[in-house]
Amino acid sequence: MVPDESVGVSEPLNLLIAGLAHELNTPLGAINSNNDTMSRAIEKIQELLQEKVGVPEETRVAASRLVGILEDVCRTTSIATERLIGIVGSLRTFARLDEAELKKADIHEGIESTLMIIHHQLRDRIVVEKQFGDLPLVECYAGRLNQVFLNLLVNATQAIPDRGKIVIRTSRARDMVRIAISDNGVGIPAENISKIFSPGFTTKGVGVGTGLGLSICYRIVQDHHGTIHFDSGHGTTTFTVELPLRQRKKVQRG
Amino acid sequence: VAEEEVPVILLVDDEEMILDSIKSFLAIDADYKLLAYTSPKKAIEDIESMKRVDLIISDYLMPEMDGISFLSEVKKRFPLIPRILLTGYADKENAIKAINNVGLYQYIEKPWNNDDLRLIIRNGLEKTRLLNQLEEKIREVEKVHKELADVHKEILRVFV
Repeated sequence: MVPDESVGVSEPLNLLIAGLAHELNTPLGAINSNNDTMSRAIEKIQELLQEKVGVPEETRVAASRLVGILEDVCRTTSIATERLIGIVGSLRTFARLDEAELKKADIHEGIESTLMIIHHQLRDRIVVEKQFGDLPLVECYAGRLNQVFLNLLVNATQAIPDRGKIVIRTSRARDMVRIAISDNGVGIPAENISKIFSPGFTTKGVGVGTGLGLSICYRIVQDHHGTIHFDSGHGTTTFTVELPLRQRKKVQRG
Repeated sequence: VAEEEVPVILLVDDEEMILDSIKSFLAIDADYKLLAYTSPKKAIEDIESMKRVDLIISDYLMPEMDGISFLSEVKKRFPLIPRILLTGYADKENAIKAINNVGLYQYIEKPWNNDDLRLIIRNGLEKTRLLNQLEEKIREVEKVHKELADVHKEILRVFV
């Protein structure tokens, strides 16, 4: 039941995301720089308007009003650009292509960047409650762990048909960290429990799920010498991932 | 400011929009002469005939050749001037490679902050100016040294 090719499936997604972030950075760089240049130019025009004698008062008032509009526009563009830069930054943190090796990483940072990516699926529909404990840095392949968080969080959002809540709890237990993701969605029927980590098993329609998500999670967690299990009942489904703080030996790459 | 006093910045990025943005940004600030290229190959062709370059800024990922190869080529012609890599491709391995192989002055990521870039450019140009001054002083010292040696020889010739 343990998949073999799963890691090979998760890497292209990271490559795609990193590539996308790179593609976005060029136009974003131009917009950001141009907006800054524009607001500097506007500032200078404003100064000239105040200094120059011989400008008719009527022109000065009209020009100042236009400059005021431009200042507002620049400010809004600046806020919008900052937001875009934040999103692209999250994409990069998520993909973590520059951290393809075993390193100590902040688990909370990974979860936050993943939440940013699925932001549009949550919107006003789903409330996310973070109950983050005090976690040390964890030795891992951060980009691959983010794949686990992504899969679990996307599953949780898809399990909630209308409005609902996702709770993310993190805690430390001796030399392990525990990440538990709960949702109050439809739950997992008893007959599916044995198949849930099998590759290709999906309850979602064609085009919604590949049936690989949880098998990928299983493989990645196992590669980190951790465990993943779930519990579904009483209106709550919880997936719990436990990971050792340090890797005893080199993690086998897919 | 006399024509030859204006610092010359060589900028290479395959994206026209980046060249335009930096051109505008520099224009508002101070007197720089900007040589902008979308093609690193064309820039290398032209560089032979360039009399003066004070600072180089290059993109990393370009279709013809990457920024690191480009900067190492430029280094042959202008070994002392500061080389800056401006990249949208955040990748630590490449950054380290660039700094080690080419001797980068600065590594900047897109989207950049204009204030940071302004400061980096100013400091880079200042470094070039100081290096040029130092070179000039060394030449002067060498000249004086040679004159002294000649006088020394002359004295020996007269008295010995």
